[in-house]
Amino acid sequence: MSNLRDVYIIGVGQTPCGKYPTKAAHVLGREASWGAIKDAGIYARDIEIGFCGHVYQGMGVGQRTLKDIGLVGQPVINVEGACGSGTLSFWEAWRTIAFGQHDVALAWGVENLSKIMSGGPLPLEEDDIEVALGMSMPGLYAMRAKRYMDEYGVSKETLAKVVVKSRLHASKNPIAQFRKETTIDAVLGDPVICDPLTRSMCCPVGDASAAAVLVSGEMLNKIKRDESRLPIKVLGCVAQSGGYASPTGLTCDPSENVARTSKMAYEQAGLGPEDMDAVEIHDAFAIAELIVAEALGFAKKGEGSKLIEEGTSNYDGNIAINPSGGLLSRGHPVGATGLLQTVEIVNQLRGEATGCQVPDANIGLIETMGGAQPAMDGITCVVSILGK
Amino acid sequence: MSEEQERKVLHPDFFTEDPEPRLIAGRCKVSGNWTFPPYLADPVSFQDEIEHVPLPKVGKLHSFTIVRRSLPDFPVPFGLGLIDFPEQKVRVMAQIEADDLENDLSLDMDVETVVGIVRKAKDGSDIYSYKFRALKK
Repeated sequence: MSNLRDVYIIGVGQTPCGKYPTKAAHVLGREASWGAIKDAGIYARDIEIGFCGHVYQGMGVGQRTLKDIGLVGQPVINVEGACGSGTLSFWEAWRTIAFGQHDVALAWGVENLSKIMSGGPLPLEEDDIEVALGMSMPGLYAMRAKRYMDEYGVSKETLAKVVVKSRLHASKNPIAQFRKETTIDAVLGDPVICDPLTRSMCCPVGDASAAAVLVSGEMLNKIKRDESRLPIKVLGCVAQSGGYASPTGLTCDPSENVARTSKMAYEQAGLGPEDMDAVEIHDAFAIAELIVAEALGFAKKGEGSKLIEEGTSNYDGNIAINPSGGLLSRGHPVGATGLLQTVEIVNQLRGEATGCQVPDANIGLIETMGGAQPAMDGITCVVSILGK
Repeated sequence: MSEEQERKVLHPDFFTEDPEPRLIAGRCKVSGNWTFPPYLADPVSFQDEIEHVPLPKVGKLHSFTIVRRSLPDFPVPFGLGLIDFPEQKVRVMAQIEADDLENDLSLDMDVETVVGIVRKAKDGSDIYSYKFRALKK
């Protein structure tokens, strides 16, 4: 795919993560989108196409969002890919530019969860046979955690340390949902949701939106924009749906999907895990950070906990994982999450992180993992690699 | 109407109770690959020659959790597990029953297929389906 065009992110915007039950999704969406357009310093009318990632926000939320910033007529595609919806919308924006169909695209993600639920597990699709039998995302990750902890000798304390690190990072991030530091004892003392996961080992219910303006390499030098804002190049961007697990064995672990997708993204970028400085990964549950870090190549299988135990994944460590606080603490407003991760990495590479700034961040990676399906390793996985 | 006829059953096509509870899997006549539940076409051969065959009654508990917070139609706590049928290379997620959820479950133990209450209907009545029961350690 050497004939792909260069694609740059020239502006980003985001809202704080929190609970805004009276704020419509398109109102959150317009704040983030307008923020991205202002950050880029372009005219809104320069946007040729929009992609809006969401899961629960109903018909036409993308069109409702753009109407409020004076943008009508352009094609707007509402994108759903479970928890990967935001990055799937980013991938759509990237590929329409990379393949030469458009020059300027807006990708945003939005979710208002607190409008539809106060807490507890995400409502899943009742037609799914496992959901109908009681499967929930905390239940699924709890089972992964139990097996992983047994196989690799990982303790509950290590899972708690993932949360402690996450809260520490989020405590410095003004847009994070949880900004209070915590302790191992506090995490382990929380109510158990699904053994062994306690409440703070599970991401919260929350609302937010985040957005990015993408342009082609040709347009970067033509469009009237704020040239003081550092453009960030998309070095790799790959989306994959889950694969069948049963033909090759019993594993239906989403980390297989993450490994497959990230391998393709690394190849596209001509880089490897050792080149990454700042990483935002999909830690919907504490165990996910360990398993996904391994799948991305930052640790050997079963050794993800070393990153936590040795402090390597702290914002100032060798490989900074979730300097924003991640899903556990910054928040997981489902459809917005992938773009929140993307905005965080853009800010890190610009040296403008709203929270913990990773020192000398030149290259960053975003991993988003959405949903679950019987005998498949997830619904959607997207991995992007950005560089300055 | 008999009690049996009134029983609300979820996924009735995915299991049998005659002569004993077993899950019904799909086996491709071309590739020999098994799936649960049966698919329309086989992911290995991409053929649609699928026969419906019962899985063994007893599987192995790959992992489990005790769910203590769930959606409203599922009274908590309940056991949830991943059950392996290694010979068929099939992994099934289902609820797990035990006399003592806290103490009777362990990784890799044998669990047997049963039929029992899995959730409540909107009217509060019980819904039945397949689940698994821990066999004595």
